[in-house]
Amino acid sequence: MDFNDYACDPTIYDEMFQSDGIPWEHSRELHDTLLHMPAASLASTQEEVSRSFLQEGISFMVYGDDEAEERIIPVDCIPRILTGAEWRVLEAGLSQRLRALNHFLNDVYNQARIIRDGVVPEDMVKGCPQYRLEMEGYTPPQGAWVAICGTDLVRTHDGYFVLEDNLRVPSGVSYMIATRRAAKAGFRRLYRSSRVREVEHYGQLLLTVLRELAPEGVPEPAIALLTPGIYNAAFYEHVFLAQELGAELVEGRDLLTQDGFVYMRTTEGLRRVDIIYRRVDDVFLDPLVFHPDSVLGVPGLLDVCQRGNVTLVNTPGSGVADDKSIYAFVPDIVRYYLGEEPVLSNVETYLCRRPQDLEYTLDNLDKLVVKRVGESGGYGMLMGPHATPSEREEYAKQMRADPSDFISQPVLPFSRSPCLVGEGMEPRHVDLRPFVLQGREPRITPGAFCRVALRRGGLVVNSSQGGGCKDIWVLED
Amino acid sequence: MLSRSAQSMYWMGRYLERTEFLCRLIRLQMEALLDRPPRDIHAGWRRLYATLGRTPPGGGLGPVQGEDFTLADSFTLAGDLTFERQNLDSIWNCFANCRENARQMRHHISTEMWRTLNLAYLRIRTLEIQDIWATAPEDFYAGMVAEIGNFAGAAETTMYRDEGWRFLQLGRCIERAQLVSSLLVQQLAMDSEAGEFAELDWTSLLRAYQAAEVYHRSYGIAVHPAPVLDLMVADPLLPGSLSRCFNIIGEHLAALGTGPGQASGAEAQRVASALTHLPESRWPDEVTGRSGLLARAAAQCRELHFLVNGAYFDY
Repeated sequence: MDFNDYACDPTIYDEMFQSDGIPWEHSRELHDTLLHMPAASLASTQEEVSRSFLQEGISFMVYGDDEAEERIIPVDCIPRILTGAEWRVLEAGLSQRLRALNHFLNDVYNQARIIRDGVVPEDMVKGCPQYRLEMEGYTPPQGAWVAICGTDLVRTHDGYFVLEDNLRVPSGVSYMIATRRAAKAGFRRLYRSSRVREVEHYGQLLLTVLRELAPEGVPEPAIALLTPGIYNAAFYEHVFLAQELGAELVEGRDLLTQDGFVYMRTTEGLRRVDIIYRRVDDVFLDPLVFHPDSVLGVPGLLDVCQRGNVTLVNTPGSGVADDKSIYAFVPDIVRYYLGEEPVLSNVETYLCRRPQDLEYTLDNLDKLVVKRVGESGGYGMLMGPHATPSEREEYAKQMRADPSDFISQPVLPFSRSPCLVGEGMEPRHVDLRPFVLQGREPRITPGAFCRVALRRGGLVVNSSQGGGCKDIWVLED
Repeated sequence: MLSRSAQSMYWMGRYLERTEFLCRLIRLQMEALLDRPPRDIHAGWRRLYATLGRTPPGGGLGPVQGEDFTLADSFTLAGDLTFERQNLDSIWNCFANCRENARQMRHHISTEMWRTLNLAYLRIRTLEIQDIWATAPEDFYAGMVAEIGNFAGAAETTMYRDEGWRFLQLGRCIERAQLVSSLLVQQLAMDSEAGEFAELDWTSLLRAYQAAEVYHRSYGIAVHPAPVLDLMVADPLLPGSLSRCFNIIGEHLAALGTGPGQASGAEAQRVASALTHLPESRWPDEVTGRSGLLARAAAQCRELHFLVNGAYFDY
């Protein structure tokens, strides 16, 4: 397979090639392997990888107007390679960031020093839709409000940038492991000789972390994974993780609260649950406290959590720290709590609640990406340079009506990686979502869910918006 | 085990068994299309719909018709029972439900079991009756039976023998006992209505349950209802016999105990015990007495379903 038609763009960082078209040292072996592979052989590797996803049923749900459809996430067989040195920087930065955000959450729900000291405006914290008044005064075991975090990062010529800290119910870790299994089988010899760091132990790390968060005095905690059910987009992942953890996969209707504890209904009667890894959003967790119509949650769950008799992971209310407005303050949050300079950079962010930022955004709508503060998954976003004038005008109207609901950022020329498209090799934009765990200490699996914007020139990587995935190989030093 | 998980395992077993039952009987119908007269084909469809308690499309089967009509009718009926998405009892729906329960229970079944089921599902997911009709439709049903056999084999060799296993087996056996007893009741009713027994109908029952060879070894070439019933009901060595199903049901219920819904659990054990002893002590010698007993057994299987539900799932 040759790279003759592979179009490098010097303004965009390429994960395989330097600006002069020569492969990076760490990608040379992969490049040479691909170069010597007949096109038919690579096509059959790709087919094998895709087929393995289909056969394993590695699916996600997509909702149309009328019905839900089970889809297989598109996967590209060619791995993306990171060096051990690069990974060390990412690891340090991600761990620093999560430690700081956990300090921040503990603080804003208790003493609120950071607000008193004027680092983060009070209205931005307490007015945030993710702020849960009900959690004031609460401290989770180990102070780990967020035990499982999936940070979205991109790379440019200027280095790595954090796009988003996903602190509520981040998904994608099952794809990280599935793509690894598939890519490993597809490039057997290369995998062995490349000395790639393993990701398979993620489940063990997660179990260790969850056990560290057990309520006080419970040495052998019973763990359950709470899913919204089979219609949830990430249901495959919920089953996968329950299997990895050896935990029961429960829905709200399987649980009840009694005498200050949570129980699940089993074939032998009620059994106490000590830790709930919940994949249900805050507002559906407890109909007595949040959404009264929720059938996904458990009445009285929050009360049991506040009594310290069950640990909810991640803690309800954590979303205030990954709010798109608070994001702009994370570098200051790191400095405030840790007294360190942030290792990882933020993308420059304009908060439209500030009149000058709104004005700048409206004047430069064709150059910026504008996001709604409360949305995620690539929904409700305006990609300025790709939008039509009428789309921009419509969006501007909405922004003027409620400026505080919007932020804007420059469109980053984030990196591209070679993908097999049809019968040739083409560059596609990629991001990465490593998973950071925090129990007694941060733990990071050396790998990530790598999302790919499959459309040529496209920048949106979300699987709900037609994105795919590929494996990331972090090399040993 | 979580009650809902146990319930899903139980339903996985029921749906799987129902799929297999339909495949076995429709396969016979497809083979009958090759060389049997319209009367036999018509009788086969009638028996099948009556066993399922379902009205055929168009409101009923009507009288026996000529060759062309029988062929056209069989196309419609096979389509209804195999791929009709609106028919909740169709093979397609039963198998999709089985796979859906398995999808939710992947953490309780082995990877091999899931893969076998998922591959079979992917194969039939987009099929319609016309896709299998043009060549040899019986091959499709034989293929399905083989795939279900692969699943059962994978379960046998790879699944941990915990409660999940017991509920899976319980679901399969309760479903099988209910369907087989209803099928035999229907055959006896049709004989009684005709005033004679149709040897070929009874032969087809033996073939559907892989019992023809054993029958011939034990009872000779001629097929009569009484020995067929002896074999299919009372012989615990035949894998698909009622006696064997009842024994397995009794064994799993005893191991599971009465469950949190104790009254239902105790009653389930009592009913299962009565069913286990039915082929031994209360099995009448003459064919006429057997019909009523089989109808009662089918009713008790239905009752057992609700008792299991009340004992372990919805207490």
